[in-house]
Amino acid sequence: MPRDQYARQSLGSTYRLVKESRVLLVGAGGIGCELLKNLVLTGFGEIHIIDLDTIDLSNLNRQFLFRQEHIKKPKALVAKEVAQKFNPGVKLIAHHANIKDRQFNLEWFAGFNIVFNALDNMDARRHVNKMCLAVDVPLIESGTTGFKGQVQVIKKDKTACYDCTAKTTPISYPVCTIRSTPSQPIHCIVWAKSYLLPELFGVSEDEPTELDHSGDTDNVEEIEKLRQEAQALKKIRESMGSDDFAKHVFDKVFKEDIERLVNMEDMWKDKKPPEPLSYETLEQEASSINSSIKLDGQRIWSPAENFIVFKDSLSRLSHRLAEEQSKASKTAQPLPTITFDKDDDDTMDFVAATGNLRAIIFGIETKSSFDIKQMAGNIIPAIATTNAMVAGLCVMQAFKVLRGEFTRTRWLWLWNGSLRTDQLEKPNPECPVCSVAMGRVHVDLEKATLNDLVQDVLRTRLGYGEELTVLTDAGIVYDPDLEDNLEKKLTDLDIEDASFILVKDEEDDNPRIDLRLAIEAKKPTDQSKPVALVEKEGETLDIPRRPTKEDAPNGGDVDGDDANGSVVTNGFSIAPPTVKRKRDLVDDDAASGTPAKKLQGPVAAEVAKNSALNAIVIDEDDGTLLIADDD
Amino acid sequence: MTTEIAPRDVTPPPLQAPTAKEKKYDRQLRLWAASGQRALEDSHVLLIVGDEYQGSNSSVAGVEALKNLVLPSVGSFTIADSAQVTVSDLGVNFFLDSDSLHKSRAEETRRLLSELNPDVTGHAITTPLAEWLPVEGSLKPYNLIIACAPIPSEILQRICFYALQSSIPAIYVQSAGFYASFSIQLPSAFPIVDTHPDPESTQDLRLLAPWPELDAAVDSLGDISSLPDHDHGHIPYILILLYFLREWKANHNGNSPSTFKEKTEFRDLVRSRARVDNPEGGEENFDEACAAVLKSITPPPIDSGCKEMMAMHLCTSLSSDSANFWVIANAIKQFYETHGVLPLPGSLPDMKATSAEYIKLQSLYKAKARSDVAEVTTTVRHTESLLSRETTIPESEIEAFCRNASHVRVLTNPAHEPFPSLRLGSGDHKTISRIASLLENDWEALLPVFVGLNARANPSSPLDVTALTSDPELLETLTKATAEVERVSGGELHNISSVIGGMVAQEAIKLLTRQYVPVDGTCVFDGIRSKSGVYKI
Repeated sequence: MPRDQYARQSLGSTYRLVKESRVLLVGAGGIGCELLKNLVLTGFGEIHIIDLDTIDLSNLNRQFLFRQEHIKKPKALVAKEVAQKFNPGVKLIAHHANIKDRQFNLEWFAGFNIVFNALDNMDARRHVNKMCLAVDVPLIESGTTGFKGQVQVIKKDKTACYDCTAKTTPISYPVCTIRSTPSQPIHCIVWAKSYLLPELFGVSEDEPTELDHSGDTDNVEEIEKLRQEAQALKKIRESMGSDDFAKHVFDKVFKEDIERLVNMEDMWKDKKPPEPLSYETLEQEASSINSSIKLDGQRIWSPAENFIVFKDSLSRLSHRLAEEQSKASKTAQPLPTITFDKDDDDTMDFVAATGNLRAIIFGIETKSSFDIKQMAGNIIPAIATTNAMVAGLCVMQAFKVLRGEFTRTRWLWLWNGSLRTDQLEKPNPECPVCSVAMGRVHVDLEKATLNDLVQDVLRTRLGYGEELTVLTDAGIVYDPDLEDNLEKKLTDLDIEDASFILVKDEEDDNPRIDLRLAIEAKKPTDQSKPVALVEKEGETLDIPRRPTKEDAPNGGDVDGDDANGSVVTNGFSIAPPTVKRKRDLVDDDAASGTPAKKLQGPVAAEVAKNSALNAIVIDEDDGTLLIADDD
Repeated sequence: MTTEIAPRDVTPPPLQAPTAKEKKYDRQLRLWAASGQRALEDSHVLLIVGDEYQGSNSSVAGVEALKNLVLPSVGSFTIADSAQVTVSDLGVNFFLDSDSLHKSRAEETRRLLSELNPDVTGHAITTPLAEWLPVEGSLKPYNLIIACAPIPSEILQRICFYALQSSIPAIYVQSAGFYASFSIQLPSAFPIVDTHPDPESTQDLRLLAPWPELDAAVDSLGDISSLPDHDHGHIPYILILLYFLREWKANHNGNSPSTFKEKTEFRDLVRSRARVDNPEGGEENFDEACAAVLKSITPPPIDSGCKEMMAMHLCTSLSSDSANFWVIANAIKQFYETHGVLPLPGSLPDMKATSAEYIKLQSLYKAKARSDVAEVTTTVRHTESLLSRETTIPESEIEAFCRNASHVRVLTNPAHEPFPSLRLGSGDHKTISRIASLLENDWEALLPVFVGLNARANPSSPLDVTALTSDPELLETLTKATAEVERVSGGELHNISSVIGGMVAQEAIKLLTRQYVPVDGTCVFDGIRSKSGVYKI
């Protein structure tokens, strides 16, 4: 019996597609490990795995490809090494790198049949979403939190993309709440993590995103005072390493700054004013505590215990910083800093203790360090079981994607162990990412100017008129009133390899929809043109006109059923007879109206028969879930 | 008396950082806490793979489930599997490598699973089931059994019987091709205190049943219309609602607002008393009060699960060896009968108030919760002495029960029913007619998958699907599902087994930690449609 007997038996003709596929797995964390195992054992032909992270102890309860001895090693490399043993027939390529690096450009993305997202953050998810849409590679997006999880298939023009629904942005707090008028434990924790720790051990110029400056103009005076306070703290930082460093820091932030606040009587009309702490009193209380106390993370510490942890963690951090700085000065590297990491005990203890001391000052409930870790670290609970289910479901969706059966792909939720299925949503016509037309240009970056792009490609090749605007991430680089940039090189305008520009048609009469052009550094074949539009053979980039109000409902041009051989979408129009398409077999099936007939056994019939039942949609009040696997 | 003053610059005591263990399991402790972790680590799970070879015998699903239990650190596991590793096993089972070929599958999967977590002890039993199972005490070490289909009836019977007799849960897992399923056999009673209800639903503010101290707090407000703006704008919304409830009752024959219409009218009343002539043009505390009307003006909650528990025989007739759970449940029942409400959980939501006022109110709720716990504890101690029980129930256990009393659940298996697969295999009429009636309303159309997986459960007498339905279309579906299972002849698809292994492990964790509410019945998974459903067969 051959090794792949069972897979061959169950998958039938799909098995060939699986074996010949080239897939990209972004993230080798909780879901990533599970997915890699599944992909390897299912026999996917070539698997690229990318992750920039290294292995941490807290990963081991679920990221089963990693062991104790792998801690601090790159996830991608270890995952590849471990997984390879289990199927020598699969080609595995690992990248210990950031998926946003320029080397992973559109051409690279275009080389995959499927991309799997197993990421822990919105930023990278959005990036991969955008890249996949630009080269029209299907993306299987997944995430878990605790017992909950979800899988979503994203295919250009057929399904909603990651950005079709607005995602909640992280909470931020007004500066004054954090620095002057905290009222909840989280305010004190954010103060410790995003103000005190960076001021003492980090680069304080880095503005933490948790602080919201929008209200600053209303409190000009107070903001100025706070700036002075921060300056004074920097002075104290210079005394780091001296015996009385702890006392200096303590007296500054827990006494003098508080005394200043108390004097601002206006602030305390409605609230109990804060009460400064005394270093001497706490030191005396602390001295009576048995020196062998075990400070357990689940228990709420007394003021004196917080004081002990404050002094101890401050000294640990100071030593660490001194050591790293002396090391760095020898090698002439930039000065090292310490940044918050929820799994770094030194920073965690410091944040817990100083946050609690501040809470005591303001009469706010103190928390255990276990709870503070959750609040400060945005810890998302994670376990093996949910990741295993989600990863298995991703592969199920991948089979359908490989067969091109996008109408049969599903949106899946795991909700405390029960699986819910829903039809994928159609693209949101208002989506800023996927509702635009997309194109690619090859650019000779040594020569190309903005004029080459605007004249040769946009006006001559694509037929744009005079009224158009070109934008980069930084803003407008061209419009009819801004012609100064035309002679500049694209590189001088920060238009580099793997960046995107947006073109808006500003004509009053029947304008085109917005166009996003991906820039690829590659010398065009025609040497005389430094910028050239990339078109696949038999395809022409045709940018649809903006729908007018009357015909808006049908403007999205969503293809609900694969049954049409020729698919016209807002991007490329594909001429059916001459085009050699990637997945002939599948599209033929779809075209003939007998889906997946080559699949053996009653599976296909089962699918066909039950398709009516699939129409039962489970209503989800929650709408989109923003779910992240934490690592 | 002399006070000892420590010398200055005393070196701080050495700190014990969180243990490596706490760090390693941090992400899961956030789900089931230290108590759940302890329960998990005290467990020994047995995985049984049948002796009669049919493809891979769902062994991949079983091993995947174990993987998901080894990672979070189940205490020990044992794999009982008499098979030798084949080449096709290597292609579908991640916990076998090329060196494993022709060796014992139990031993090899044990070896590779053990590598995942040095905190876990693994064992293997390589002798055939028929040999070791009948030995006296063979199943004694285990508190959860996971059996991988197919397993011959007489052996499965023995496993089911043992599990019921010793009150441990058991899970039967089937995985073939795109289809998979698992059934949980519960002991006759399976109580869960920590059901992890939605925090929103656990709030109990007692607005319609205030106790004297809470009433006194309302009294102390006096006539709020005469309060200065600052004080008026800082009355905690709970007291606002209680204050106006009195006024409402005085005008409504002593009745509280109960219908939606009345509650809306009551809300309008509250809103009309907010002061709007202040610089803010309104009062936040009154806004909070209005927002809370529909949700909080309700009789103190009691879940149906808790009522069911109080009616159970185990709750009403205690004996000296009743489990702690039932002794406390009985005390809670007495409490409920005396007061008409459950013990107060005692937590208070955040609200607009002065710190002093908030803390005062918070201590009121906390004090009431403490006194309720004390009352329940007294009853428990009384029962303990009546029954001359040898050990006393820890106070923390009583407290935890009181805090979650309304959401406590007891799952039951009163008829001591074994796995549906076993009943179906023995041609049990009750089971067949149950499936037939379930098929009539099977909107998700997942039951045919279960029927397909079990149609040949007893090879000597295959299931007659025509006995299940007269509907020709449904009959065809059943026949096709059966044929699909036959076609793959027991071969597992790795990712399907991985999904079902994840589900099984998830339920196993719930069963072992006695937290969250596990699946009560049979879960069916259809990989073709990515759908799952739970049936009580």
